[in-house]
Amino acid sequence: MPEIRVTPLGAGQDVGRSCILVSISGKNVMLDCGMHMGYNDDRRFPDFSYITQSGRLTDFLDCVIISHFHLDHCGALPYFSEMVGYDGPIYMTHPTQAICPILLEDYRKIAVDKKGEANFFTSQMIKDCMKKVVAVHLHQTVQVDDELEIKAYYAGHVLGAAMFQIKVGSESVVYTGDYNMTPDRHLGAAWIDKCRPNLLITESTYATTIRDSKRCRERDFLKKVHETVERGGKVLIPVFALGRAQELCILLETFWERMNLKVPIYFSTGLTEKANHYYKLFITWTNQKIRKTFVQRNMFEFKHIKAFDRTFADNPGPMVVFATPGMLHAGQSLQIFRKWAGNEKNMVIMPGYCVQGTVGHKILSGQRKLEMEGRQVLEVKMQVEYMSFSAHADAKGIMQLVGQAEPESVLLVHGEAKKMEFLRQKIEQEFRVSCYMPANGETVTLPTSPSIPVGISLGLLKREMVQGLLPEAKKPRLLHGTLIMKDSSFRLVSSEQALKELGLAEHQLRFTCRVHLQDTRKEQETALRVYSHLKSTLKDHCVQHLPDGSVTVESILIQAAAHSEDPGTKVLLVSWTYQDEELGSFLTALLKNGLPQAPS
Amino acid sequence: MDPECSRLLPALCAVLADPRQLVADDTCLEKLLDWFKTVMETESSLQLLQDHPCLMELLSHVLKPQDVSPRVLSFALRLVGIFAAQEDCFQYLQQGELLLGLFGETGALSWAAWSVPSVRSGWIQGLCSLVRHPSALHFLADSGAVDTIFSLQGDPSLFVASAASQLLVHILALAMQGGASGSPTREAAAWPVCAQKIVNHVEESLHSKATPQVTQALNVLTTTFGRCHSPWTRVLWERLSPSVACLFERDPIPAVHSLMDLLLSVASPQELRTRAFSVLLQPLACILKATTQAPGPPGLLDGAADSLLTVDTLLSSKSTCVGLLCQTLAHLEELQMLPQCPSPWPQVPLLGAAVTILRLCDGSADPSSSVGGRLCGTLGGCVRVQRAALDFLGTLSQGMGPLELVLEVFAVLLKTLESPESSPMVLKKAFQATLRWLQNSHKTPSCSDLSADALLFLGELFPILQKRLCSPCWEVRDSALEFLTHLIRHWGGQADFREALRSSEVPAFAHQLLQDPESYVRASAVGAAGQLSTRGLQAAPTSPENPQAQQGLLMDLMHILSTDSEGFPRRAVLRVFTEWLRDGHADVVQDTEWFVATVLQAVSRDLDWEVRVQGLELAQVFLIQAMGQPSLRCPYTVGLPEATSPSPHPEFLQTLCRLPLFEFAFCALLDCDRPVAQKACDLLLFLRDKTSSCSGTQEVGDNPSSASVEAVLQRWREGEQGQLLGDLDPEAMLAILRSLDLEGLQDKLAKSSDHVEKSPQSLLQDMLATVGILEENEADCY
Repeated sequence: MPEIRVTPLGAGQDVGRSCILVSISGKNVMLDCGMHMGYNDDRRFPDFSYITQSGRLTDFLDCVIISHFHLDHCGALPYFSEMVGYDGPIYMTHPTQAICPILLEDYRKIAVDKKGEANFFTSQMIKDCMKKVVAVHLHQTVQVDDELEIKAYYAGHVLGAAMFQIKVGSESVVYTGDYNMTPDRHLGAAWIDKCRPNLLITESTYATTIRDSKRCRERDFLKKVHETVERGGKVLIPVFALGRAQELCILLETFWERMNLKVPIYFSTGLTEKANHYYKLFITWTNQKIRKTFVQRNMFEFKHIKAFDRTFADNPGPMVVFATPGMLHAGQSLQIFRKWAGNEKNMVIMPGYCVQGTVGHKILSGQRKLEMEGRQVLEVKMQVEYMSFSAHADAKGIMQLVGQAEPESVLLVHGEAKKMEFLRQKIEQEFRVSCYMPANGETVTLPTSPSIPVGISLGLLKREMVQGLLPEAKKPRLLHGTLIMKDSSFRLVSSEQALKELGLAEHQLRFTCRVHLQDTRKEQETALRVYSHLKSTLKDHCVQHLPDGSVTVESILIQAAAHSEDPGTKVLLVSWTYQDEELGSFLTALLKNGLPQAPS
Repeated sequence: MDPECSRLLPALCAVLADPRQLVADDTCLEKLLDWFKTVMETESSLQLLQDHPCLMELLSHVLKPQDVSPRVLSFALRLVGIFAAQEDCFQYLQQGELLLGLFGETGALSWAAWSVPSVRSGWIQGLCSLVRHPSALHFLADSGAVDTIFSLQGDPSLFVASAASQLLVHILALAMQGGASGSPTREAAAWPVCAQKIVNHVEESLHSKATPQVTQALNVLTTTFGRCHSPWTRVLWERLSPSVACLFERDPIPAVHSLMDLLLSVASPQELRTRAFSVLLQPLACILKATTQAPGPPGLLDGAADSLLTVDTLLSSKSTCVGLLCQTLAHLEELQMLPQCPSPWPQVPLLGAAVTILRLCDGSADPSSSVGGRLCGTLGGCVRVQRAALDFLGTLSQGMGPLELVLEVFAVLLKTLESPESSPMVLKKAFQATLRWLQNSHKTPSCSDLSADALLFLGELFPILQKRLCSPCWEVRDSALEFLTHLIRHWGGQADFREALRSSEVPAFAHQLLQDPESYVRASAVGAAGQLSTRGLQAAPTSPENPQAQQGLLMDLMHILSTDSEGFPRRAVLRVFTEWLRDGHADVVQDTEWFVATVLQAVSRDLDWEVRVQGLELAQVFLIQAMGQPSLRCPYTVGLPEATSPSPHPEFLQTLCRLPLFEFAFCALLDCDRPVAQKACDLLLFLRDKTSSCSGTQEVGDNPSSASVEAVLQRWREGEQGQLLGDLDPEAMLAILRSLDLEGLQDKLAKSSDHVEKSPQSLLQDMLATVGILEENEADCY
């Protein structure tokens, strides 16, 4: 039974970490392999032992596809490939391939730095994992094997983010990963063609929200930064090395230029150069505006943003510092935060989500007295601001994408159950397609009816054409022929050709039927009566009375015979070929109604 | 439970019971359960419930599930399970009807929320925690829970289904163990009711026509027997082995891989094992049969070859053929590594099969039958099978084989390494397998030299390796370099090997890769070049008159250390340098002071904390070489007369100031990255220990060894501003060193920096603090 099966191991009714198993016509694909930043133990990784109940994992999956470089989509990759032992290919776009190892390395270093975790993947493992990666271009059809092919589409969201179409034969699934349907300052909007997949698996982070324009949030951000430095305060912006950092850098750089500001802006880590290098390298992945202005000035070559040295933190006067990591849980951002937290003139702006337990989480939830190591209490007097810059499609955007792709059914992931439920109903009502939202571990099975291509012989087609019926693309047509299955292909040919090709002799198959008539006359006379009756009834057909007394209508043969026991009854023997099945049945029914009285 | 947590608990319970309040996220509830589990390890849960009535209130509230979110329901089920793991608390909860209300048929099963998988999962996990004592077994038998668990084995949620099977294993073990004081009875009727039910259920499943059910039963048994071997498992096996043996009478034998795993986990009869094993081997036997010209020597695979079904499966379609072969190869690889691996192990035919499969993949096999011809077509260029076969071939190197077969192995490996068709991943696996075969090919007790055949092989291998070092794929260049490094590490000292390597251009090509555009490759090239140089195998011919080439490498590596934009090559350089320093590499010995000074200078500016840590490591090696091993700080040696280490030469201390090692270590103490500070702390403690006998009168501060490190260093910086630290005299340095509270800092650093973050107070505070503000920041992500 051809079917598509989908089982989320992560992102099923949550936004923790994405990992979705898809089985399509016997091919098994894993979509994303994310890590949950909220845990410090094995729970941060999806439980891969569920991938296969019996048998070995490595032999089960045909490929892994990574939608973009965020750790909740790729953070478990080295664990999966090097510690669990997956050996197959991992597909991602070129920018993701370039940036992914940097972020993995960055995260590994934070984990080891902060907690001294020993049982974590190593640099060597990240490298070995990256050796399994196959990079793909947008809109390039990549053949994973003879039957399985994939194709990437632009998804916005972050540099290199892609939606993937997975196709086996005529069956296909589209996985959106995270996407954004409105262009932002450095990236364009997601786009997909009308590919009519059997299933569209879409994220639904903002399933019930219509988001205000990002412009407002950006204005707000600039205003707050500006006000703080104007009054002599310092602004700390904790970020991860890549992604949001670049977006905010462009924002500040442009603003500083326009307002002619002189307050220094620093970026705290050596990663910045490399990050900006990649944004330059993959300029074709950014939006049109950046590409256009690229000729005059590369947006990622910052004039105002300088490298940070840790002694700068003690300098008097205002400044803006981007520091890693993004949740204030270790390293430089935490060190600067401790120095500046006590001054109410200063400000910290958290531009992203923080997991429970981190200092970032605590100050965002309003806690102002933080216990640090050694029972010290740090009083936070500086201003704390949260600004969400995450770039996901809102409810309108999701509906728009469903409309674009025209799927047969939709499956929601990467969102909260309650909100998904609302969106699910909306999609089912508006598009009249089934919409699913499985929890983690639950399997959705969709039966599919595969279309099997059949070649038609030219002879057969010509014969049809002779009858004056030109083929029309969208109208179903009835065509008689013989189906030949040979060398795993199907061909429809005329029966004569089939006989010739297969070297078979022709056999005639006739249907027969007996009809009893009350008639005392001789058989010949009955046959004559039948002939006259049919001649008058079937004006369009060729009705003949043969010399041997039998009557024919097309291929149908009618003979009259005496009844062996009842001389008052005659038996009509009717026989016909399958081509005249309809006429044969009609005639039999007609004769069963009896013959009209002969004129006396 | 500490008082602060006790104080916060009522408010938290109130929040959880309030349906209008959103609970922060799943991780918080998980961590809360973790904490309760830890508390229960040392405290009485009954006491805890009595001391904190808010907990009972929360649990009773859950009995009215319409008011509670599925998340909290699932949490409560698991929490009750943790409490009821202690028998007195179990009884207390049972008296209050709470247990039946939650786990009985009128409990969770009747709630609307039962349709939510996390609630079903919570129910199972709750029971799993709870089933620790005989009372719990009675409860299970009376409440009908066992039947529910059976049905949950087929749950649409994989998580629930798998947890249900795990729970059955757990219950079965407890029931069978508990009943047996002395040797367990063979009489099933005397077993606890739960055990009887489960055993009957497993037996029924084994007789089922549906393979998934058979697999499930086999897996339950494998886990059970895998966990412990005791008298009761023997009794259980006696009872169930006829049902397992029955599986062999079916055609085809269902779930053969699970069956094999079970038979290996238990003391099963050899005959059954052999039969299961031969079924497992069928695909390989078919391959051998289809490609063998003349009937080969009789082997274990012969009997297995005649399954028409296997042939059909192999030929039915490419994906089933590939799937079956990969599964078989991977399973055999696992089996060979087991201590209880099937015996006799058919090493020779398996080796033959692995080689044949690789030949079918690379198109060099000579099919002797029509089946062989079709296999050629199916497997030609199939990367998945190639990968699996190479892995398996590598594992088979442990057992070796007759010489002609080993030569065939080398031949097929060479072919794979040489083939332009081989993918980077296949090449990597081929390199790994080659290394394993080379390592095992000289397993004769008398010598560790490479065998003559292996040497012949190397002669052919190096030109290929050379080509691979120039591959356009960075993955291939990197794997080739890693392979080369391993080779040199193993055989770099052997004359024949050195000869073969020297006559190739491999060293020169490896050296060139120091300038590779890919940082991973540069790092591997650094490692390889370091090894080559250590063994005196570097690219340019070195004669005593021409040491420049050698010096050239040192300078190249120094250049990488100070200019490379990526961390990996810089880290690799430091690894090589540390090894060189440790081994007394000629170039380092020439001017060690210059060497260490240059390295420290470069490292102190490095943005990568791992480079800084390695810099400290190198400094430590330098100190140990000059001052001897650190003294042992063993508590048992306290009473012993301490062997005083000789005081370091004053000139050496002068050197340390000049390097400047002191300054480097002091700065590192305040590093924002914990491992750097930790390493610096260890280093300075060592130094302080070694210099304790030096006369030192000049102290900084009134109260030595008590001032905080930060304060002391701050004062020192302010005092010495503008002065070059290298010019400071050792006395001053030692005085600063003695005034630092290094032990205090060491303790602080030893605790991971998130020990506050992980504390239960922090968790409770965070959960309470997020109440009400969730709407603002909800559902954001990265």
